Amino acid sequence: MALAALAACRTGPPRLNVFNWSDYVAPETIPAFEAEFGVRVRYGTYESGEEMLAKVLSGNSGWDVVFPSNSLVEPMRELGLLAPLRHDWLANLDNLEEGFRRPSWDPNLDWCVPYMWGGTGIAYRREVTPPPTGWASLWEERLRGRLTMLDDPAEVLGACLKKLGWSVNSIDPVELERAGQEARAQKALLRAYVNAEVRDQLVAGDVLAAQLWATTSLQAIEESAALAFVWPEEGFPLYADNVVVLRESERGELAHRFVDYLLRPEVAAAVAKATKSATTNAKARALLPESFRSNATLYPPPEVLRRGEWFASLPATAQRLRDRIWTEIRSA
Amino acid sequence: MSRLLALYAAAIYAFLHLPLLILAIFSFNASRFTIWEGFSLRWYRAALENPQLLETCWNSLVIAAAATLVATCLGTLCAYGLWKRRSAPMAAGLYISLVTPEVVMGISLLAFYQWLFRYLDVRPGLHTVVAAHVTFCLAYVVLVVLARLRTLEPALEEAAMDLGATEWQAFRRVTLPLLGPGIAAAAMLCFTLSFDDYVITSLVAGVDSETLPMVIYAMARRGVSPVVNAVSTIIVFGLGILVLAAGRLQRA
Amino acid sequence: MLAPAAVWMAVFVAAPLGVVAAYSFLTRGPYGGLSEPWTLENYVRLADPLYLRIVARSFRIAAVTTALCLLLGFPLALFLARSGGRKHLLLALVILPFWTSYLVRTYAWMFLLRDTGLVNTLLVEAGLLERPLPLLYNEGAVILGLVYGHLPFMVLPIFAVLERLDRSLVEAAADLGARPLETLVRVVLPLARPGIVAGALLVFIPCLGAYLTPDLLGGGKTVMVGNLIQSQFTAARDWPFGAAVSLALMALVMLGLTVFLRRGGERFL
Repeated sequence: MALAALAACRTGPPRLNVFNWSDYVAPETIPAFEAEFGVRVRYGTYESGEEMLAKVLSGNSGWDVVFPSNSLVEPMRELGLLAPLRHDWLANLDNLEEGFRRPSWDPNLDWCVPYMWGGTGIAYRREVTPPPTGWASLWEERLRGRLTMLDDPAEVLGACLKKLGWSVNSIDPVELERAGQEARAQKALLRAYVNAEVRDQLVAGDVLAAQLWATTSLQAIEESAALAFVWPEEGFPLYADNVVVLRESERGELAHRFVDYLLRPEVAAAVAKATKSATTNAKARALLPESFRSNATLYPPPEVLRRGEWFASLPATAQRLRDRIWTEIRSA
Repeated sequence: MSRLLALYAAAIYAFLHLPLLILAIFSFNASRFTIWEGFSLRWYRAALENPQLLETCWNSLVIAAAATLVATCLGTLCAYGLWKRRSAPMAAGLYISLVTPEVVMGISLLAFYQWLFRYLDVRPGLHTVVAAHVTFCLAYVVLVVLARLRTLEPALEEAAMDLGATEWQAFRRVTLPLLGPGIAAAAMLCFTLSFDDYVITSLVAGVDSETLPMVIYAMARRGVSPVVNAVSTIIVFGLGILVLAAGRLQRA
Repeated sequence: MLAPAAVWMAVFVAAPLGVVAAYSFLTRGPYGGLSEPWTLENYVRLADPLYLRIVARSFRIAAVTTALCLLLGFPLALFLARSGGRKHLLLALVILPFWTSYLVRTYAWMFLLRDTGLVNTLLVEAGLLERPLPLLYNEGAVILGLVYGHLPFMVLPIFAVLERLDRSLVEAAADLGARPLETLVRVVLPLARPGIVAGALLVFIPCLGAYLTPDLLGGGKTVMVGNLIQSQFTAARDWPFGAAVSLALMALVMLGLTVFLRRGGERFL
């Protein structure tokens, strides 16, 4: 009782709770928003999409805005977790690239707004010679104990499926089981399943090769010239992270203002520059320096991009099977 | 033989205390790597200037204080009841709560809160965390207070009642004052347990109720940051003093 | 007097466990969450060798930890019991680190054992090693962390028994010509048995359900039952299965508790 009263006493400016991937905004993004709109933002970060989904699945997590990747948008909508977007509150929607205005996962942008996109490849230290060329390189004995994979079932299974020559979105039980076996075989060589945290270990030299997002790899390369990135030859997954407003949020309008703020060219450009991400915002991309716009890791050339495959959301039974296989991989 | 034993004991003491001492020493290291580069307070300054650390520290203190208050009251009454009249179901319940792994207690409370959410508007927040903390502290409070009660003379209360006091008055005016040190010790124990808890809290905390151990855990996962060393040293000293005080009180 | 506590326990211990028990019979929804039908599938799934291996690993780690604690703790308890006047001070010194943050103590070992940690740095600087040893993120590190965290649980009960040991028995053995070691094994040890049993159970049972130590020191690779449960309720989002594993763990723990109480262990609580 007393605590509730205490909490109520502390009513200050309105508060927005934003839950995002780590290192996905520029240092000034949030403070500038707070200053301009006179609000306080509680900005939490997560390292994995699974972690985020687990928190918001209950429907009373307390978060207002989260950033699911495209394959999660449809399921979250079906689970009733998303608030429909009011386009009349999103004036800057037209700033998006052509390709992202009618994305396959939400053709009318009723539920989400694409934020940043990218792909997954291999980050490695230059002393690894010959350098890795594809997913198969990550099963090599020479990397034992100095290799990491992402802590993400879709990514790990995706890499295994590609290595075996199948689609990252496979729902075939046989293919999935085989992929699971590959992952378990690899586990003996693996140092850990870890996401962006592996950056420091790559820089320090503890890790020789890591399955890593292009964005995070670029952040690491920025810190150490001894690192490099390669798009696997067998093919690789592409993803797009999107902003959504949660249905449980009681600050819908403020959330929309935040989304609109993120769509501003200068804001999106600042984020893209600071986080080394590929932006979905056309006007923002135009503001970026040439070195960014032509960076092959961020914006791969067409012949490389052709090998990429967008993650898709999968039917329920396939998802259940994948999640079970992932538990088995982790527990092995 | 006893020389050998003494030497051995010294080695064990070193084993027990060195890791923490080293942690503390390196919290004063000017460099962020494990090579000593000189004495510096920069990590303490960084810790004290970190708003997230400060806010979660405040949360932890508030939660610990509230949990201690409730648990001590409930626990003392319960211990007194058990002292007067043995109750197998109650004792069983307390044993179960002592023996239940923290993970299981945490997930069961999480499941319970989520189930409750369907009928009541229960958002995970400070109050859910406090309730969880009271739950796991209760058995410890009962243990400590009961131990103290067992050193008391039951005859004293009987004498008071012979002289005309009611059971409640006898409790309040005879037993309670004698229990004082025991209750204080239990309270400090409870505070320590609550402040330090990670597993249960991480499962039932909400957006606004992040605690200090949760932040430390996240920082520990991300890499070695001497800021964690600094915060850890502060915690160890703070809790250490509390524990020493509790020990003194219990023997009083 | 008992009523308020009883109500609290009913609401916050019994009811939650009841909810968990109920959930263990449900099915997982497509992305997590719960759904009908009611089924025994989760318990059947537990019998999979993959998960049985996790249970076996937890038993093994708990057993090794208990054995090490006994080996390390018994001489210490002996020392304390014989240390005369400064007994309580020395005992306090054993307990003190224990009551400061468990998280901090686990982190201290991370700090010491990682590739760029103190132990490796010293060894590399001294020229004894070319590259750092992988001291962290393996089962050994987990056991070390568990022993470190639970040693006092073993020392205290043994100390409690040894303290009350009748010295005349030891003297009598000496008078009858027994050497110190013989006295130890044939007189002291058997008399200390209740303390040893209590200590063993006080270490074994918590270690079975350990979560934080294998998580931080094992790098998520040393999966024990506690880790399995936690992952089902978070990233894996399979509450029904997690509930089933929890109940299985509770059953094991209750078994341990019954053994403990049958052997008169409540003296030590």
